Amino acid sequence: MTPERFSSQLARFFGDDARFTDKGGAQWELRVPRDRCLPLLSFLRDHSFVHLAFISAVDWPRDQEIELVYHVWSYEHRVHVLVKTRTEREKAWMFTAHRLWGQAQAYEQEIHEMMGVFFLGNPDLSPLFLHNWHDRPPLRKDFDPKAYSLKAYTLAGLGLAPEQKEDGDVPS
Amino acid sequence: MYLPDGYTTLEKLREAGEYADYDLFFGPNHPGMHGNFGYVLTMIGTEVVRVRPNAGQLHRGFEKAMENKAWAANVSLIPRVCVPDPDPNEVAYCQAVEKLLGCEVPIRGRWMRSITLELSRLGSLYMGMGGLAGALGHYSTMYLMMIERDLILDRFEALTGARVYHIYNVPGGVRNDAPEGWFDSVSRLLDHLEAQMPEYDRLLYENHVVWDRLQGMAPITAEEAMASGVTGPALRATGVKADIRVDAPYAAYPEIQVDIPTSGGGDALARAVQVRLDFAESVRILRRLLARIPDGPVHADLGNLAKLKVPAGDAYSKVESSKGEFGYYVVSDGGEKPYRVSVRGPSLPAGLYLCHKHLPGMKIDDVAAWMASFAICPPDIDR
Amino acid sequence: MEDAVLFNLRDERQSAWESVLNYFRKRSMWMLYYCTGCGAIELPPSMTSRYDMERFGMGPMATPRQADLLLITGYLSVKTLKRVIRSYEQMQEPKYVVGFGSCPINGGIYWDAYPVINHLELFIPVDMSIAGCMPRPQAVLDAFQKLMDEIQAGKAVGYKRYRKHLDWYKRNQDAVLARTEAVLEPWEDPFSDAALVESLWNDAPAEVKEMREVRHDA
Repeated sequence: MTPERFSSQLARFFGDDARFTDKGGAQWELRVPRDRCLPLLSFLRDHSFVHLAFISAVDWPRDQEIELVYHVWSYEHRVHVLVKTRTEREKAWMFTAHRLWGQAQAYEQEIHEMMGVFFLGNPDLSPLFLHNWHDRPPLRKDFDPKAYSLKAYTLAGLGLAPEQKEDGDVPS
Repeated sequence: MYLPDGYTTLEKLREAGEYADYDLFFGPNHPGMHGNFGYVLTMIGTEVVRVRPNAGQLHRGFEKAMENKAWAANVSLIPRVCVPDPDPNEVAYCQAVEKLLGCEVPIRGRWMRSITLELSRLGSLYMGMGGLAGALGHYSTMYLMMIERDLILDRFEALTGARVYHIYNVPGGVRNDAPEGWFDSVSRLLDHLEAQMPEYDRLLYENHVVWDRLQGMAPITAEEAMASGVTGPALRATGVKADIRVDAPYAAYPEIQVDIPTSGGGDALARAVQVRLDFAESVRILRRLLARIPDGPVHADLGNLAKLKVPAGDAYSKVESSKGEFGYYVVSDGGEKPYRVSVRGPSLPAGLYLCHKHLPGMKIDDVAAWMASFAICPPDIDR
Repeated sequence: MEDAVLFNLRDERQSAWESVLNYFRKRSMWMLYYCTGCGAIELPPSMTSRYDMERFGMGPMATPRQADLLLITGYLSVKTLKRVIRSYEQMQEPKYVVGFGSCPINGGIYWDAYPVINHLELFIPVDMSIAGCMPRPQAVLDAFQKLMDEIQAGKAVGYKRYRKHLDWYKRNQDAVLARTEAVLEPWEDPFSDAALVESLWNDAPAEVKEMREVRHDA
């Protein structure tokens, strides 16, 4: 499939909603608003892009937005498509894609925990990776891992006293 | 098994409240578990009813840590994403960076990349086959395979100075050229590995216990495998001819003949056989690579790598590892550090998604073999 | 009698009985099969025929209740730390802890990573640390030899320290594991509000709404 043919087909179904870019190296980029993202993914899946490699999320505090990137691949055409959609940063949410690809549930669960994006319709968004986490999602740009680590895992940061000097018989 | 009159399955008994289910923690501290990962299995008797993956014990915030390190410094962090098969990570990341930089790797550098990738694959496949043998109780096979893997690590040590984390690839190529006589030593190693293989075939693949345990276990169809994101040997075991080395070739693979052996059948036995076929193919590819090594520099000149600046943009790069597709999505804002790196590991689809389909109804003894047959490697799930 | 043996902390004048005990302890160390991190990759080579740990009387053990040696093979995320402490407390005395690689010593390459603890000795006593990333099998075996010497000399008494200073260790463990407040700043999930979620559904486009029913067979 040539990029031209694909983009003309796309324009027939999605009009101006889906903006197509050829990134070169058999990688295409599609930018789409949130409401049209799921129909686009569904369209892609039905047109031989059956492999959802993974979903990644990029935080853009400059634009007050979070970008979700769906990576899909067609075994038939050997083309990798990056579907990009953006959501506001304050209340970041997106429709779940797990009806299209079952494994999307796990990716969305991870993004929810790491980036704080809520996925509407996802059956399980419980924390999976972090233990007892009360802070902001760690992959947000305004989270400082170094400050967290120093405060959470050192005695000085925890505000606890070091071990007392022992009564002779204990090695220190 | 004894069942009271009128009851045919344990599930019915449970519905009647006569047989209690219980939660069994399979891992993280369990001899059958591959790495630090856990499944909470709800069991009736010895049969799994429900499964809840308990991931995150190996989570160490890779993607965040990469944002705080210089472009080239991240290469030291990256092999740690997948411990048994580290090199595909380095290559995938470096390729993404090179794509953003628009730089070409010299041909000898690409050749060295392919050679290390294939050697790493061999080591990882030994680990995988040994792990499968161990999960089925054949510890001597596992022990023997570890020795062969160690011989591969010796070659890596001669080339890079490290046994496990080689940190050999850098943006623009590879760190150093091969020392004197290294290619010959790799050839001799291949002769040795090939001579040894029939013994392992007798121990593992011609073994009735292995055959009977794996046949028909957790089958998947080609459509199901493609739709659920399974890649690598597990996908080829369903008969799909898919391999990133052919579909989207990188490093030296565009110039080298790569065949895609498939086993077909889609069950655990087919996956185990597929690993063996991949192994043989990998040895053949290495021989082809070693037969004509081009001359020239091994890395492009990018100036001071510590101060490398990458133009703004994003790129995705993927590599066929021994377990499937390793992908790196790299976003740059033009600075000295990556803006965002996100990692696609090959184990997540099977480890967190297919487990819900396959494990219920399975006996507890088979869970470890199921994990080994899908080559689930927890570090790349958790990252 | 038992108490006298157990609480004789680092006694230079070991009783003859204790030195006999220590001789046998050092010669049959069973290590717990628990791969806590990436250092576990160098254990199969150390265990198997090439480096052959078994010639020192060491072998893997499946259950913590019968193991003597807990290997912390690499970095420890908080989630693992909880399980490590659990395993450590299940082990019977005498028990020894070996920290593997740089990460348990000071955090190593993950010193500034948010889920990884930095100093293991704050949470459980460590008898021997092996520096390096990764430590080679030779270094691992060397460390085990040194640990054997320490056991013979009656110096590897981490478990006694743990018992004596349990309060201190428990305090540190609880500070990390039983955290109830945010470390830097608290985060409220705006979508814990069911009405908000419902209103999002109401505004959703029709073609997406059709996909609403949650699929349970996933």
